[in-house]
Amino acid sequence: MPLRVGVLGTGFAGSMHAHSALAIDGAQVVAVAAVPLTDATSLAKECGARVASAEEICAADDIDLVVVATPTYLHAQHAIAAARAGKHVFCEKPLARTLADAEAMVRAADEARVTLAVGHVVRFFPEYRQAKELLDAGTLGKPAIVTMTRGNFAVGSARGWYLDEDKSGGVVLDLMLHDLDTVRWWFGEPSRIYAKRFKGSGGLEYALATIRYDERPIVQIEASWAEHSGFRTGFELRGDRGMLVHDSRAASPIALQSPSGPAGPAMMATPTLHETPYLVQLRDLFARIARGEPPLVDGPEGLRSLALGLAVIRSADTGEVVNWKAPQ
Amino acid sequence: MTERLRVGLVSFAHVHAPGLANTLGALDRVEFTGIYDDDEKRGRGAASAHATRWHPTLDRLLATSDAIVIASNNADHRRYTEAAAKARVHVLCEKPLATTTADAMAMIDACRSAGVQLGTAFPVRSSPAVMALKEAIAAGSLGRIRAIRATNPGQYPGSWFGDKRQAGGGSAMDHTVHAADAIRWLIGDEFSRVQAEFGSFIYGLDVEDCGVMTCDLAGGAFASIDCSWSRPQTFPTWGGVTLHVVGEKGTVDIDVFRQALTHYDDTAGRTRLVGWGDDLTARMVAGFVDAILARRPVPISGEDGLRALEVAIAGYRSAETKRPVAISDVRA
Repeated sequence: MPLRVGVLGTGFAGSMHAHSALAIDGAQVVAVAAVPLTDATSLAKECGARVASAEEICAADDIDLVVVATPTYLHAQHAIAAARAGKHVFCEKPLARTLADAEAMVRAADEARVTLAVGHVVRFFPEYRQAKELLDAGTLGKPAIVTMTRGNFAVGSARGWYLDEDKSGGVVLDLMLHDLDTVRWWFGEPSRIYAKRFKGSGGLEYALATIRYDERPIVQIEASWAEHSGFRTGFELRGDRGMLVHDSRAASPIALQSPSGPAGPAMMATPTLHETPYLVQLRDLFARIARGEPPLVDGPEGLRSLALGLAVIRSADTGEVVNWKAPQ
Repeated sequence: MTERLRVGLVSFAHVHAPGLANTLGALDRVEFTGIYDDDEKRGRGAASAHATRWHPTLDRLLATSDAIVIASNNADHRRYTEAAAKARVHVLCEKPLATTTADAMAMIDACRSAGVQLGTAFPVRSSPAVMALKEAIAAGSLGRIRAIRATNPGQYPGSWFGDKRQAGGGSAMDHTVHAADAIRWLIGDEFSRVQAEFGSFIYGLDVEDCGVMTCDLAGGAFASIDCSWSRPQTFPTWGGVTLHVVGEKGTVDIDVFRQALTHYDDTAGRTRLVGWGDDLTARMVAGFVDAILARRPVPISGEDGLRALEVAIAGYRSAETKRPVAISDVRA
């Protein structure tokens, strides 16, 4: 029997996950939700799925797993409703907007004995996996100083809820959270945090955080909604025996230009991998669920990364160093 | 014939000394009066390599010079500067200006009392890209500047640079001041608070070789400075200086030494970058020389050197106390 998937949200993430699920053998997308409902029509059509409200999808009998790709502040209500109805939940990052919400989600999934997985997709990006392998192999020696960057245009100018700190958590919970999770994945739990951020007009926001480990390394993370030319990631990972450098702008194997300027995907597709990390992430999750195994990033793990993001915000808001102790 | 300034070079201890000697030998408005070095062998060798005179004593060099450039280890800056001031000779001092704020202030006082000028060697201000950025900021094209992320990571220079007694610290003492000065100059604001994380992770030194500082400026912007010796030995160049500047109306990336050929060198068995951009050292020294000749204030003063040094000193205190430190707390 195929895994029947309901998708909540049709933004970048919802649409990406729906298309990924479509490409996975043994999975099918049966329903898609958006607010307003009509926003779900075209994605539902592409998936051969019905349009339904989030509440209907969470309660439906013919759905095994719910993808929660709604705005951050709604994750908890949707994930908890789905879990209580006995459905597995794949929740976009950040797991929730608040720790209390995240704890309630973890509890609901435990009580319902369903899987709660969190979409920390960077753990499936090959450049970050390669770095982890080289780190673990000792090729780089012991980590010394690491800088990471992630930027995008001011996304709040296109999707207003990002501008509301209480709904989104701003650039820290949207972009920096990826690198905070990566840092935990690569090096474990840090010891203290110091951060700065500003919010400007038109959705401009920028944050810097220094993440210090007891012994080593020192990590600096930059997150920007002022990268006006578009999405960019990068890192420099310096060990005492070498350094790895990644810059997404320097890593694209295809570039398109036209007489009318940058034409983008309307003119031709510019794929860089046969399978996106989003597809690999979802396939891995579905396979683990089929085998009765826990997900790679489960609820408590997503909660810990969220807590680190909230600690960054606390440091930026108070101007003080925040000592870190991961929630158990 | 145009007026020329007689300029001598004190010490060849600093890695920048050969570049400074080349500049002094090449500038039209400079008469290169020679080299003095505490290390006679090093001084004689340098003088011969740069076709200039070697002076057996500092006094002999000062007696024939209107100005000196100091390229010694950091801790010796004060005594050379005070000797020059006493001899009524102007000083262009390598960065950091000194290893303590007390030394830096003594140098400023000595020069002021003697009626000579003290300049600090910050070549980044001479970068055409950095100058263009300053103009754009001043014109308001980028809107209000809210954040600057600066990096000045390099390879470990070796010799006295890792010796706290001679250098005053490690990579943070070596590299903070370039970025700190560029940030102050670009946005016309002063640092007010510094948080720093340092580590000695790579070379087994008693001083830090990795560092990140996060700073507040008085006007509300924030900035960070990567002040590490993090470039591996296999890196194709010594290091670099970058600035990521976020304004309300625009974001700018500067890579000061980006203008370079990539040389895949089978002869040497390595890849290296061969810079072809403007010679920033030559422009910086020329700016100093022209100001002295025209009897105007030098473009980058001893006070500028002190302000940048304060950022590094606050960083050391923050790294030690694990708390942010106000600049006013490291001012005597």
